[in-house]
Amino acid sequence: MPRYDIVVVGAGNAGMSAALQCQLAGMKTLLIEQHNLPGGAATSIVRGRFEIDPTLHELCDYGPADNPGDLRNLLDKYGVKLDFYECPECFRCISTYRDGTPMDVTMPAGIAAFIDKMESYVPGSREKMEQLFDLFQVVLDGIAYITASRGNPDPKILGTTYANMLKTGAYSTQEVFDALELPLKCQDILSTYWSYLGVDMEHLAFIHYAAMVHKYVSRGAYIPAHTSHQLSTAMVERFRELGGDVWFNCRAEEFLFNGDRCVGVKTNMGTVDCMYVLANINPDLIYGRMMPKELVPEREKKLSKARDRKLGGRMYTMYLCLDATPEELGIKDYTIFMPGTADSVAEYNNIMGGMKTNEFTIFVCNNLTNPEFSPPGTCVVSFTTFGSPVDWNDLKQEDYFRFKTEGAMKMLNTLKKKTGIDLTGHVEEIEICSPWTFARYLGVPEGAVYGYEARDWDGMMARMQMIGYDYPIKGLRPVGAAGPRSDGFTASMICGQLMAGSALMDLKKWKEEGGKA
Amino acid sequence: MAELNIQISADPRLDMQKFATMAKVREEAIQATPAEEVNGTFAINENAKALHPDVMKLVIDEIIDRGAAEAKTYILKNADGGPLPYFRAGQYLSLKLPLDGSFVTRSYSLCLSPKEALNGKYAITIRTNPGGFVADRLLESLKAGDTVLSSGPQGFFYYEALRDKKQVIGLAGGSGITPFLSLASAICDGTEDFELTLLYGSRTEESILFRSELDAIAAACPKFKVIHVLSDEKKDGWESGFITAEMIRKYAPADGEYSVYLCGPEAMYRFLKPEIAKLKLPERLFRRKLIDVTKTPWECEDHPKDMRGKSFTVKVKQGPAECEIPASADEPVLVALERAGIKAPSRCRAGECGWCRSRLLEGTVFVPQENEMRRWADKHYGYIHPCCSFPTSDLVLEVPGEFF
Repeated sequence: MPRYDIVVVGAGNAGMSAALQCQLAGMKTLLIEQHNLPGGAATSIVRGRFEIDPTLHELCDYGPADNPGDLRNLLDKYGVKLDFYECPECFRCISTYRDGTPMDVTMPAGIAAFIDKMESYVPGSREKMEQLFDLFQVVLDGIAYITASRGNPDPKILGTTYANMLKTGAYSTQEVFDALELPLKCQDILSTYWSYLGVDMEHLAFIHYAAMVHKYVSRGAYIPAHTSHQLSTAMVERFRELGGDVWFNCRAEEFLFNGDRCVGVKTNMGTVDCMYVLANINPDLIYGRMMPKELVPEREKKLSKARDRKLGGRMYTMYLCLDATPEELGIKDYTIFMPGTADSVAEYNNIMGGMKTNEFTIFVCNNLTNPEFSPPGTCVVSFTTFGSPVDWNDLKQEDYFRFKTEGAMKMLNTLKKKTGIDLTGHVEEIEICSPWTFARYLGVPEGAVYGYEARDWDGMMARMQMIGYDYPIKGLRPVGAAGPRSDGFTASMICGQLMAGSALMDLKKWKEEGGKA
Repeated sequence: MAELNIQISADPRLDMQKFATMAKVREEAIQATPAEEVNGTFAINENAKALHPDVMKLVIDEIIDRGAAEAKTYILKNADGGPLPYFRAGQYLSLKLPLDGSFVTRSYSLCLSPKEALNGKYAITIRTNPGGFVADRLLESLKAGDTVLSSGPQGFFYYEALRDKKQVIGLAGGSGITPFLSLASAICDGTEDFELTLLYGSRTEESILFRSELDAIAAACPKFKVIHVLSDEKKDGWESGFITAEMIRKYAPADGEYSVYLCGPEAMYRFLKPEIAKLKLPERLFRRKLIDVTKTPWECEDHPKDMRGKSFTVKVKQGPAECEIPASADEPVLVALERAGIKAPSRCRAGECGWCRSRLLEGTVFVPQENEMRRWADKHYGYIHPCCSFPTSDLVLEVPGEFF
């Protein structure tokens, strides 16, 4: 029977990162993945002469070489090398302000430029915006400090250096915006990013929002030169180079225990012994399907029940490969957010109400960041919205393809209505992915790639502060978007690194206490 | 750090203490909830699994001999009873067949309307293929009551309203008729909504596969027409010879755009390539079902010289297992794996689906240009699709697992 120090189950962003961290620490590590490709959501789809990136719009916190973000630093540390393109702007947003007037704004990257542009849309907003970005910076530094302390920060340092993070960190984004007396239109424009975290502004912790927005604005957004499959493959190949083993089409069926300690994984390719498992799997699946029920602690059952399946980001997407250039089609923006309203609470409820009420659409044209994304004379665009269990739980198979196409057409019409861009007559390849598709390939509950909603009491910082309390299974830790850092490519990769670090410390302690493999 | 010049420090609405109690608030919310067994089952995931199973066990319910068309249709049912996964007309099944110590896959288009799946019924048709490894053995050995393993429905040869024109000209040759029978059936029963005019090449009138089925659909449904094209026979009122650009124009709508769908044998593809080019269709209007990789790689323009007939060794790793197997430069690596009895994943056998994607750790392969559909990073980092990669040296290959 094969033996490894650590088995990482699932080569999603968090799993690949955890595997690299373990292998770099000298652990004999096996990475298994149920699909025949790495990456989970970080993958690509080939259709005809096109290669499509199904999920990645903008990598957060990569940054230029002279202002590297956490992600660039992490990949450097792992020795993962590949080329990236910088996205041309933060976003364009076409929507309706909460006061009912139409919104059509394009926000650039760079703090000064972002604040300047905001001033042009909302005259008199400069001072408040500057304060906001100062506050973002403190929050960001504070999170870095807490992360470095692995959830045990020194209260004195927090209370002095990071005082303004403490003052704002526990509040919702909306509450902090109100306290700052940020002009309403500013708030509405700034709320555009809520969908990247899947929680509306009244339930999304300011600390979480602040960290993300500051990173996008200050460092810009990036994408790999050849889809996120390149990023995933580069990570996996680096892991191999460091001596790690990778088994594809290998599905973990059950975690094996000796007493109350996880000691192995049963898979379709046989059983693997190990000292520790890092599982890039939603904890509900681990507890509900993959380990003995009597070993699931009462507190973990309460945690699962308290979350009550509030999952975020049930992806519903369409990709079109077009036989004309962006110029010919009149596409000028890389990313256009098209929520029905800037009122994120209403928008969230409309999304959860299903496609009857859901108007939310994000449009991306990959060629505007990477002109060589597709063959000359063509371009690739994607449409993203979120699915709701209202639509997808009880949908019949015989209605599936038609329903999937209707929703996609709705997004296509939204684009036409809001921008005048008409793509009909240019579609050479098309793929539509529903929550069923994401559930199929990623295994995530309900196709929700954001894990549990980082909402209210279960926000990112609250989770971070409780890293030592959640998931107290010996020899087994979950990693991924359901984890302490919440969703996003970068957040998941950092989560993988963080939890691998905890696992390595657990193992060290266990060995010191006489634990034997 | 300098004190920030912002109002919040004086704002009574924001309380610093709240930060310190975040963990406490969270723990209280958790503890206030009653403990319940964690339910790891989600409707959306169950739906996805039912629509896209890893593997299906099918039982042969009935065999229909097609007589002079030298084919048999196999009516398949779910071996465990109940409905079968719905599909899109034009999709195929990849059967997983143990034959003489090998595990081989072969893809067969579903040749019935998707509606039948809801009644637990599939149908595929296998036509004789003298000299081939699989078809004739199956035709001889498969009996009613036998079970076969299959993938779920696969493939991209289906109608897509957002891409295709309402008027479609279908070009079928030989057993390439099977997906068109499914498409025509689906048009007829209202599952699909487009107009299909089918130019169907057969050798002789007698050898036409599904003639009565196609005629019956055409009689019942004004959206479907079939024009038989006989290559070895001349008959009054019938088209004869091969399908040409001129013939396509004759039956295509006089004005406006139309889509062209093609499914047939390799020789038909070679013949039609320049004919299709004459139509000057934009690429988006031409769909073809990919066919198995060529059996004569040495005829490819860029095939490495003096490679034909050479033998190599492939060291295969699959999870914890390792072995060495022989391989020929004239056959795809997948065939070497199958001959050795390795359960290597594969489905389309044309380079398209990527299911066989494997890591080439050492060695070199030849990939015919028409089957080169790898992802950019896969080419860059040394992954191959063994179904359409011919060895040009000894290899070390890491293949994924399988789920059957």
